[in-house]
Amino acid sequence: MGSADIDMNGAEYCKEFRRLKVLPANDQIKELQTILRDKNTTRSDFKFYADRLIRLVIEESLNQLPFTECNVITPTGATYNGLKYKSGNCGVSIVRSGESMEQGLRDCCRSIRIGKILVESDADTHEARVVYARFPEDIDRRHVLLMYPIMSTGNTVSKAVNVLKEHGVKEDCIILSNLFCTPQAVQTILESYPKMKILTSEVHPVAPNHFGQKYFGTD
Amino acid sequence: MAAKIGPMDPPSSASSDSDIIDAQDYSEVFPDQEDQEERSGDFYNTPASPITVPYCPRPPSTGSQKSPKARRQRTTSLNQGTTTQSKPDVIIRTPQRTIYTAGRPPWYNSEGQKVVPFVIGICGGSASGKTTVAENIIECLGVPWVTLLSMDSFYKVLTEKQHEIAENNEYNFDHPDAFDWELLAITLQRLKEGRKVEVPIYNFMTHSRENRTKTMYGANVIIFEGILTFHNLKVTEMLDMKIFVDTDADVRLARRLKRDISQRGRDLDGVIKQYTSMVQPSFNHYIAPLMSHADIIVPRGGENQVAIQLIVQHVHTQLQLRGFKLREELAQAYAMNSGPRPPTVKLLPTTPQIRGLHTFIRNKDTPRDEFIFYSKRLIRLVIEYTLSLMAFKDKCVETPQGVLYHGKRMATTKICGVSILRAGETMEQAVCDVCKDIRIGKILIQTNLQTGEPELYYLRLPKDIKDYKVILMDATVATGAAAMMAIRVLLDHDVAESNILLVSLLMAESGVRSIAYAFPKIQIVTTAIDPEINDKFYVLPGIGNFGDRYFGTEPNDGC
Repeated sequence: MGSADIDMNGAEYCKEFRRLKVLPANDQIKELQTILRDKNTTRSDFKFYADRLIRLVIEESLNQLPFTECNVITPTGATYNGLKYKSGNCGVSIVRSGESMEQGLRDCCRSIRIGKILVESDADTHEARVVYARFPEDIDRRHVLLMYPIMSTGNTVSKAVNVLKEHGVKEDCIILSNLFCTPQAVQTILESYPKMKILTSEVHPVAPNHFGQKYFGTD
Repeated sequence: MAAKIGPMDPPSSASSDSDIIDAQDYSEVFPDQEDQEERSGDFYNTPASPITVPYCPRPPSTGSQKSPKARRQRTTSLNQGTTTQSKPDVIIRTPQRTIYTAGRPPWYNSEGQKVVPFVIGICGGSASGKTTVAENIIECLGVPWVTLLSMDSFYKVLTEKQHEIAENNEYNFDHPDAFDWELLAITLQRLKEGRKVEVPIYNFMTHSRENRTKTMYGANVIIFEGILTFHNLKVTEMLDMKIFVDTDADVRLARRLKRDISQRGRDLDGVIKQYTSMVQPSFNHYIAPLMSHADIIVPRGGENQVAIQLIVQHVHTQLQLRGFKLREELAQAYAMNSGPRPPTVKLLPTTPQIRGLHTFIRNKDTPRDEFIFYSKRLIRLVIEYTLSLMAFKDKCVETPQGVLYHGKRMATTKICGVSILRAGETMEQAVCDVCKDIRIGKILIQTNLQTGEPELYYLRLPKDIKDYKVILMDATVATGAAAMMAIRVLLDHDVAESNILLVSLLMAESGVRSIAYAFPKIQIVTTAIDPEINDKFYVLPGIGNFGDRYFGTEPNDGC
């Protein structure tokens, strides 16, 4: 599959699913993805470049959060028409690979609350089930950045979204921050949850499933 | 005799070479008055009698040899010469004025093009008062950046046999053949082009060049003095103004006698022998005829105030014509300019995040910890964006999943950052976070509070910077004067214009346009462009003084 095809895929999917956002494709992001996918990348490089890509995805995810207009006075005495983000957001990471994105979120929002969900797939049936979940108490009133870097089938994410909904989170308040996902997963998720948003850096048929292991060094 | 060494540094350009001025050298060190007088007297001692002088204290050339250089050389075990100059000649104090030679004012016009400096040649016999004339011109000019180049730096290296002759007082240092004309012409030419030159340091003890050199930079005014400055046609053609200092032979001999006997412990016979056998014949034969090349002949040397005033007036007119008033011109030049911005200006997409970050940073009531935090986030974004503007090449990699992945890698690994002190330094961390092991250069440019012009104080760049893509960082760009100076420095170090990316958080419309117009191949990256500049050259609505707010040095609670 040539890179042009992939880009077209991304754009196509964006058109098909309004709620899918792909990071503006530029060579710089492509390079990061290339390094992450390259099997010869050293672990130190892998982590370094993964953190960079995560930071970009998180920054872009924050763009999806609600804000209001606001004017401020600058030190020169002039007025700047700015905007202010609303409070009442939180992050939720899906253990384990989602935790790699927590630092990126912390670097952008110093005091944001972060919840966790542990989803395990059964060794025999391959069925995903939620083992552990811990959220801020008022999560039902918050916007949630759900963090999970690799999505190949979408099973894990849909379990996590179900848990969030059980806790009263509104579907249109959930934004999935993701690095790599497959077209199939996009379709599954967006069809099952018609109000949820996805933000990713790339839609590609092959997901780099080694991400978590390489990032945490357990490969 | 060697005791005179310290203050011997003549007024010079404080060159801006990378290894010159360290922060601590800003301490005001003045040559004291007595030393200065002695030096003027000594200046004309052509090195006819090297042997009686243990080490000729006369600095073979002017320039910017300063202690930091020596210090630095020690650390790199390169220092082979004796450290003779320990005082930085950042400031020259004359009875009337103090001339700062540390900050280099613009040497290019508002379009970023180099302005050819005005070169004054001063010729005259030994002990005729050339230096006094040069000094008086510098003092009256009031131009802070002057380079004084002396012919003495260009004496030829003597062979062993010539060395012996010199020991016997029989080598004729007043003969044209004693000079390395080729090197001299090249050096002057480069200075005139505004480039960096390495001027040799001639050691009159060994009659050879020392291993170290003096780094000099072109300046708005270059004064070139020596006994035979008009001798070589090629050199003479480079001079914009030729001055001949014509002092009576009796006066010159009297000065020489006094100096050589009272200050150098030489005997009357030796001095007279040398004078009559070499100095005087050479003067009559080679130096005096050069008077016909001169534009102006100054009788009586340095004390001739009328002549000096005339010269200074002329130089001023010439400088005016060449246009060195930069910042004001820049502020006005493109203020009215509307229409599309040049394509090299890359503005980050104004996302809600970026506006949100700007809201924090611009608000005058934002506490410093938040200011720093949000600035850093914004800086990170602009640096990431900058990298996406680099050239990339296709690359196919194998994945652990067993399929090939067609991706891209950056075409060059040679990227370096250069920050414009102080505000630009705030961006260094982000560059380091994004590019592993990146090299960082620094340039210190300060605004002269009197003239409002930017001045170059310090720079240190990676050695082979010409091979690099350079990310030039400054937090804010108002008129673009400082950025333009930094760009000019990079260009003078042979960095290709298309390899420079100027990155900042906030720019003023006019600054962007001035730079883009002056340097059409430079990519300019910023997160916001504000429409106006106020009369203090701050951007409106702006951020205020970014460096002060970031480092917490603002006077009394911000503005």
